[in-house]
Amino acid sequence: MGRWLAGRILQALVTLVIALVLLFVLMRLAPGDPLAGLSEDRPLSPAEVASVRALYRLDQPITTQLAAFVSHLARGDLETSIQYGRPVSALLAERLPATLLLGGTVLLLNFTIGIWLGARQAVRRGGAGDELLTTLSLAGYATPSFWLGLVLVWLIGVRWRLLPAAGMHDPLLDPGAGFLARAGDVLRHLVLPALTLSVVSIAGTMRHQRSAMLEALRLPYIVTARAKGLSEAAVTWRHAWRNAFFPVLTLFGLWLPVLVTGAVFVESVFAWPGLGSLAFQAVGYRDYPLLMGASLLVAVLVVLGSLLTDLAYAVLDPRVRLS
Amino acid sequence: MRLPARVSGFAIALCWATQAAAQAARGPATIVIVTGAPAPVPIPTLMEGTQAAVANYEIADQLFLHLAGLGPTLTTAGDRDFVPLLARRWVRRDSVTVAFELDPRATWQDGAPVTARDVVFTFERARDPAIAPRTAGVLRRIMAVTAEGDRRVVFRFSYPYAEQVYDAVFHVAPLPAHLLAGLSQEELRRSPFLTRPVGSGPYRWVRSVAGEYIELAANEHFFLGPPAIRRVIVRVAADPDARINLLLSGEADAMDNVPPPLANLRRLGADRDVRLIPVPSPTLGYLLFNQRDPRDTSRPHPVLADPNVRRAIVLALDRARMVRAVLGDYAKVPYGPVPAILWIGHQAPPPLGQDLYRARHLLAGAGWADHDGDGMIDRAGQPLHLTLSLPVTSGIRRELGLLVQEQLRQLGVTVDVQQYDYPVFSERRTAGRFDIDFSGASMDPSPSGLANSWSCGGAGNVAHYCDPVVDSLFERASRGGANVADLWRAALIRIEEDAPAAFMYAPLYVYAVNRRFTNVTIRPESSWLALWQWTMGGAQARKGTGD
Repeated sequence: MGRWLAGRILQALVTLVIALVLLFVLMRLAPGDPLAGLSEDRPLSPAEVASVRALYRLDQPITTQLAAFVSHLARGDLETSIQYGRPVSALLAERLPATLLLGGTVLLLNFTIGIWLGARQAVRRGGAGDELLTTLSLAGYATPSFWLGLVLVWLIGVRWRLLPAAGMHDPLLDPGAGFLARAGDVLRHLVLPALTLSVVSIAGTMRHQRSAMLEALRLPYIVTARAKGLSEAAVTWRHAWRNAFFPVLTLFGLWLPVLVTGAVFVESVFAWPGLGSLAFQAVGYRDYPLLMGASLLVAVLVVLGSLLTDLAYAVLDPRVRLS
Repeated sequence: MRLPARVSGFAIALCWATQAAAQAARGPATIVIVTGAPAPVPIPTLMEGTQAAVANYEIADQLFLHLAGLGPTLTTAGDRDFVPLLARRWVRRDSVTVAFELDPRATWQDGAPVTARDVVFTFERARDPAIAPRTAGVLRRIMAVTAEGDRRVVFRFSYPYAEQVYDAVFHVAPLPAHLLAGLSQEELRRSPFLTRPVGSGPYRWVRSVAGEYIELAANEHFFLGPPAIRRVIVRVAADPDARINLLLSGEADAMDNVPPPLANLRRLGADRDVRLIPVPSPTLGYLLFNQRDPRDTSRPHPVLADPNVRRAIVLALDRARMVRAVLGDYAKVPYGPVPAILWIGHQAPPPLGQDLYRARHLLAGAGWADHDGDGMIDRAGQPLHLTLSLPVTSGIRRELGLLVQEQLRQLGVTVDVQQYDYPVFSERRTAGRFDIDFSGASMDPSPSGLANSWSCGGAGNVAHYCDPVVDSLFERASRGGANVADLWRAALIRIEEDAPAAFMYAPLYVYAVNRRFTNVTIRPESSWLALWQWTMGGAQARKGTGD
């Protein structure tokens, strides 16, 4: 196990390095001037442009830029954002909590509700409830999240004024308010964006879980379990679901990086101060340091998601042996 | 199911209670402004390079007062059309010297008086290219700033010119020397002043929540009179729809520059609580004709180097109709490169209208005609084919670009519209890789910036337009004298005749403000500059709880 883990971590690190070098080179080879968007409001003078280029080493060969990036990264420094003029690590740290809160809520809702509904559908396959949930899940899966977000915000936020239309905090709330008041404030801001993202993701998980569960329920050991006189709940959840969970576990690994990247449009529609919108703006401005910081985070999550999935298989599935 | 039901019930009650608490905190004297960009460094002389963003300037203008402000006509030439702020009066000593007398009532928000030393200290920083390269560039004609006692500051300029007072008052607001003197640029960047600035303006800093909002509070001791609006919250929502939703849901009271399409304005205009206020904008949209060959910029452009072809293209366009279709009544076709904010455009002649007959005649004179009867213009067997570059991020330019393509097709000119991501568009523009570039410019209220794009050696003259007569008129107009306005007008007439560009639209920015605010003035040079003079008098203000 220890050797396997060390090998996997080494493999993950190599993957990360290759991904980062590729990203670094491709970003700089892509057309577009990183200073162009910044000077849209107030054009920079040629002297300023030259000084900013020198500051960010944009006037140097790509190999020199890469060496400097690696050298800074080795010291834990993600450099300074061109657009914000602040350390990238500080910007990412500021935005990460909002992203983790939204993404974590969506993951939680997705994998609890989605798994539960998908498994129940399979158990009661062919019934009216199954038909209805299948139709709803297909509709949910086919719904673009940004469109759903626009509809929800218009209806619930603007027309009925039941929940906030945008943001993560109400700026009018007393900054000295107690924990419960602040939690309630964040909660009511969280409902619409989380609902928007969850509808689509739950629908997908339901579909996967239903088909995996149907497959498991057909296997001979389920017949054996029933023949042994186990209750239907025990057959379903302790025996069938345990097997049917593994395909969804793979899905979880794939969803982990979506925590950061998946909510770009929804963050934009709801003015949610997360990483997705920050990274999206960085693309528009060709803010290389910020883009590299965000990419590094996503790459780490991709590798981590894959590693955690493998580990979870090893722990949960007795058929898997690590070597 | 009992536990989930209880948890849900508790969550709903919590949400409701929080909403009620937040609403209770909103008094009539609070304003929530929603804007598109954050203001991470709203400190004069630090808003440099990549931080020279409008958002930073607009927050800084609430915190730091200038020596004087622009008057109602936004005239930047001469000494008279300015309103006193930190300086209560100014006196010209000779053609290169102006003395400003500070208002003795002016204080910093920590109680210290504003002195001549503060002004001298700030201008020393602002004129140092190592500290503030951008500001040092615009202040290059200020030779010295000295203090005469505590209350008098003397500016000496390197030669006589029309905008000396403008240069002294517009670009930089004084900083408190008693808090900052002795700090290096790096020390200042790391100092508590950056997160808790102390200014002399009508509002003081309260807090900032990264990526979300900035909160300001009224400066009770503001010497020109404390603001009626006591609490200002500037929220950030990059997406225009999110900004509009915040306004329509009642979570925001004001929004700057409602973006196109016109449906957005109709949506806001239909709300009975919202008032739309058009304001002259600093922006300008124009079709820039490249006078050099995009493949080899040392050679003249094979088509557009000919002024008759350029004039023909301008005459072929019904600009007024196109602009009305895309921007409604919120823009006009400018005469020359003059956005609505520039005072020199006030008495400009009307721009040329569409005249297809004259356009065809001019093209025929240059050898371009429909020789093969296919409806398209050609010369020596080559069709008249041009490319039009525009940024995909600009909805206005995208829509107008397609209309231009259609109108030129009617003339027999093929236009290939090429849309680029903004950084790519800008890179191609700077390198001169275009036939026609749908440019968008944003200018300060001073016409002196025109030389940057339209004089022979202008740093932003990417199309290589060059007319020594225009350069001479620019130079004489900026030097000043009795007929400054006439000189600027002559330059505009000459540019229109040369047709280096088809000047398409000078928009108004439309601000949306809740009707409970009265005495509302939006200043074109800085949106919320006059916020401290706004009052509350609408029906909702009377209903609201006081604070």
